[in-house]
Amino acid sequence: MQTNSTRASLAVLRSAPALLFVAVVVLFAILAPRFLEVQNFANILTQSANVAIVAVGMTFVLLLAGVDLSVGAAMYVCAAVAGLYFKDLPAPAAMALMTAIGALFGAINALFIVGLGIAAFVVTLATLFVGRGLALHLSQTKMVFAGDPVLAFGQGGFLGISYAVWTMAAVLLIALWVQQWTPYGRYLYAIGADREGARKAGIPVRRVVFATYVLCGALAGLGGFVSFSQVAAASSGFGLQKEFPVIAAAVLGGTSLFGGRGGVLGSVFGAILIQTVQNGLVLLNANPYLYPLVISAIIFVAVPLDSQRTRILARLTRRQIRIEPGVEARRTTAT
Amino acid sequence: MWRFLRRLLTSEYLVLLLTALYVLCLWPFAPEIVSAQTALEVIMAMLPLLLLAIGQTFVLIVAGIDLSITSTMAFSSVVAAALMTGDGGYLAGSPLAVPVALVAFLLIGLAVGYANGLCVVRFGMPSFMVTLVAQTFLSGAAIWFTSLHSTSVSIGDLPAAFSVIGRGGVAGIPYALLLCLVVAFAAHWLLSRTTLGRWLYAVGNNPRAATVSGVPTGRVIIIAFVLAGLCAALASIVYTSRLETGTPVLGQRVLLDVIGAAVIGGVSLFGGRGKISWVILGVLFLSVVDKGLQLLGLSQSIVFAVKGGVILLAAIIDALRSRILVRVAA
Amino acid sequence: MSSANDSSASDRTGGAPLLKVEGLRKSFFGVEVLKGVSFALEAGKALGVIGENGSGKSTTMNIINGLLPPSAGTMAIDGRPYAPANSKEAARAGIAFIHQELNLFENLSIAENLALQAFPKKLRWLPQIDKGQMRTRAAELLRRVDLDLSPDMLVNRLAPGERQLVEIAKALSGEARIIVFDEPTTSLTSREAERLFALVAQLKARGLGVIYISHILEDVLRLCDDVVTLRDGTMVDNRPAASVTTGHLIESMLGRPIAELFPPRSAAGPRRDVALDVRGLTQPGIVHDLTFRVLRGEIVGLAGLMGSGRSETARILFGLDPALSGTVAVNDTVIAERSPRACMAAGMAFLTEDRRGDGLLLPEGVLTNVELARLADLRANAVAPIPQAMLDRNASEAARSVRIKAHDLVRQPVLSLSGGNQQKVVLAKWLLREPAVFILDEPTRGIDVGAKAEIYGLVRQLAERGTGVLVISSEVEELLGICDRVLTMAHGEIVAGFTWPALDRAAILRAAMQRQEGAA
Repeated sequence: MQTNSTRASLAVLRSAPALLFVAVVVLFAILAPRFLEVQNFANILTQSANVAIVAVGMTFVLLLAGVDLSVGAAMYVCAAVAGLYFKDLPAPAAMALMTAIGALFGAINALFIVGLGIAAFVVTLATLFVGRGLALHLSQTKMVFAGDPVLAFGQGGFLGISYAVWTMAAVLLIALWVQQWTPYGRYLYAIGADREGARKAGIPVRRVVFATYVLCGALAGLGGFVSFSQVAAASSGFGLQKEFPVIAAAVLGGTSLFGGRGGVLGSVFGAILIQTVQNGLVLLNANPYLYPLVISAIIFVAVPLDSQRTRILARLTRRQIRIEPGVEARRTTAT
Repeated sequence: MWRFLRRLLTSEYLVLLLTALYVLCLWPFAPEIVSAQTALEVIMAMLPLLLLAIGQTFVLIVAGIDLSITSTMAFSSVVAAALMTGDGGYLAGSPLAVPVALVAFLLIGLAVGYANGLCVVRFGMPSFMVTLVAQTFLSGAAIWFTSLHSTSVSIGDLPAAFSVIGRGGVAGIPYALLLCLVVAFAAHWLLSRTTLGRWLYAVGNNPRAATVSGVPTGRVIIIAFVLAGLCAALASIVYTSRLETGTPVLGQRVLLDVIGAAVIGGVSLFGGRGKISWVILGVLFLSVVDKGLQLLGLSQSIVFAVKGGVILLAAIIDALRSRILVRVAA
Repeated sequence: MSSANDSSASDRTGGAPLLKVEGLRKSFFGVEVLKGVSFALEAGKALGVIGENGSGKSTTMNIINGLLPPSAGTMAIDGRPYAPANSKEAARAGIAFIHQELNLFENLSIAENLALQAFPKKLRWLPQIDKGQMRTRAAELLRRVDLDLSPDMLVNRLAPGERQLVEIAKALSGEARIIVFDEPTTSLTSREAERLFALVAQLKARGLGVIYISHILEDVLRLCDDVVTLRDGTMVDNRPAASVTTGHLIESMLGRPIAELFPPRSAAGPRRDVALDVRGLTQPGIVHDLTFRVLRGEIVGLAGLMGSGRSETARILFGLDPALSGTVAVNDTVIAERSPRACMAAGMAFLTEDRRGDGLLLPEGVLTNVELARLADLRANAVAPIPQAMLDRNASEAARSVRIKAHDLVRQPVLSLSGGNQQKVVLAKWLLREPAVFILDEPTRGIDVGAKAEIYGLVRQLAERGTGVLVISSEVEELLGICDRVLTMAHGEIVAGFTWPALDRAAILRAAMQRQEGAA
């Protein structure tokens, strides 16, 4: 049961990301005039596309109260394979290939997590290293160059909007549909809220979890494709520590690390927010070494907010023992 | 057959067996693996890893994880180096340089550990997330700090009085080994003979029951992270003095070794279980694996990948072990 | 509900009962927990099932619900053999189980919860939910249980009584013919309970069969047509509700005159000094102005329905939860700091109601568990060495004094002990501290009758040694048996007090069901 005051604090906590975004935009607009140019915003969207796409996949995993730390390594593996052995593929085929490799990576994660019941963060921490190591071996730690068709994708656009942004929009729309309008999407929330209860209710939990890690891997591959097309060459640091802004984007967007709460719309928004901050810092000619510090600081604000919300919600679901006079404690029912 | 396997998995000597097995498998391909020289090299390489693993063990026992130990090492490394370096350091040339730098190492380890623990306790944030943020923040901070003080990617020219820690010794025993022995013994004693030790296990086992029974649960968790931070600082001292440089990428690859060593040694990721002797065996195993791969002449990338495989193996064994123990008890 | 089932039992001449169980037996690891249980449920009737903890109630229900296979015995629905392999088959056969812990997903809407097992789809090939149809169906189900809420409302905004109605609606949506209620009123206000009773009457009128499990015997007699009593794995009584009183039922449940279960009261009686002095303890929304005392050597019971605030009171007393105002004093010293450590230092002990969740370190051995609460006091600081030998000796002594049955006090994990022995471990842990005040919350929950008698004896011993004991229990018989005084709590306040020998069962329960002034 929610009192008015707790409802208010919950509302504030939920809209914190939006408030943060507005604050950041205002701050940078004041400090750097070029920030408000349309072209600048277009750049921000294009640059945030790869993180946003991967964040969509991560969101589904987080909804299950899982995590996938290996997405960055998956991106590199896909780029290395595509760039080394399939350089001349046309862009759509390259996109499909990298997505497929990512899906395979995700399936390996899923096998250990679902099949053997090992904690997700350990499995994906391990596959992070295995994947990166293998990819480094394949590439001999040298740069991997994207083929011309892929490069054209990264530089081109349609109706004045870059292909990257179109891809991000398409992924977002499809993911939103899956999340809200399909049984699978509803199962994600149920499992995140009460895994054992979901199993008892007849939800095919293991299948759903397996599919979700595969999906996350696939989107990591797709995001890797977008990123690859933009940087044109993947060094040994491609995708390194990418899991961090991806998880941060999801959490900033309102997805809880504890599962059962959040959504893809917020995560894409979070990715754009992070990129906006980075963009602003560049325009301010800030020391590039400060970027990770600023981003970490922002995350650092977002994560405890998430924990606070979880705590408040937990307190609300506790039994109500007495009603204090003067406090509107109960939502009146018609009966 | 199953009973034998079960006994094997839950045995404390599993790791020793795995080590022996590994050496045996590699012997035909790299005969120098069985030699005094190799043994010595393994032991010397083991030492800073052992320090890190001991620190991590405290956190694992309270059912947490510390992903920030390597960047704590890196950050303390560059800050201390900036204090000591003959090349424009804050205390260049002063006789206080080395002592103050050593204090800096420890203070940073303590502060990071305290901050981590505080966030986990006060905000209820999952430890992997807190320490992941800390890791990104600190490694970024280390790189930024280095850029302030040096045109190169590291800070060199450290006083000899410092480098001797990593290389010198007394009565033929290297300082690093002495340090390790002292820390290992202190940690073992803490865990097995003191109230704090019992509290650590209780909190990892069932924090609610611990709180009801009067254990200061929040403080215990913070202490675990502080100890991890201190151990990271000590390890950083050893690494930095051996390299004779403060570098922001110190030990980047070592995180996996540390967790893998602890878990394969028998410290449970689920908390409430683990002994220092097990950790020593686990670190030994990993160092031997590392050495063996080196002797086989494999590339760094493959070594990377193999270590990932080892941690996976460790986690599988851990999960199986927990399941067996639960079934045996029921 | 399909109209075919609307016929009441009387219309079916010579027809088979709706549900019939015959000779159910069940053994776990060679221990027989069900020794031949038989009863029948007719359509349109309600059958009450009562029994103490450990009587075989839950096992029987789990078998009926398909969660456990019986070792022997048969079941039949409508005369046809019924042997479910899992709970899904039980559901398909028409059995719906309303658990005490509701299985709703809070982050989903009512409609989604109701449709979860089979979302309606508009097109066969597209996995898109037909939300319109889902909403309509949900609205119809809600109407059947008289719940006037929007189907799109998220479950986390519902009160416990409303959630229970949604759960029942879920059962009805599966075309259930038998609904089993397991302790349904524990989280309900009296108003919500009345609504539930009206609903049960409706369900009966529609021809469903209802099995009603509850320890509130008054409710059972009111709602049910027949009452089955289980004890030690057998059915000891099966009579029409009209022909028994609660007193009869209690005697059948306990199996012996109540007097035999409880240790004789000591001739001396409680002393004069105050062990625990609580004044004006208040925490908004939880407890209000609690003021009471426990004398040295006195056993005070705290009675009340679930949700009346008793466990919350205990937690506040022990410093686990905050209190806005009020004082707690042990042996005339007010405890300034609100923390378990401070309360322990003052001489308090607290046996919680959830021994597995916050009383025991399950993978550890008996000695480790027993020693846990003593550690803080042994040495001045936490890094000094523990006097292990002495501690082990004292702990073993404590374990022996409560007669814990375990073959290895060091290595055998507490997880493997029976409920009664586990509870004794927690008791021993606190006894090692020789507390001045001992708070026990549901000390005999989930424990067989034999162990219960032992625990009553231990509590009596505690009191005789001078400890002030506060016992919280939902089983009024227990409180009547061992307490010198009984206080009744309702909606966070103490509403009545009774002193032995004037412990009036009916009055205690009446006070417990009191409604809050001016509340909904």
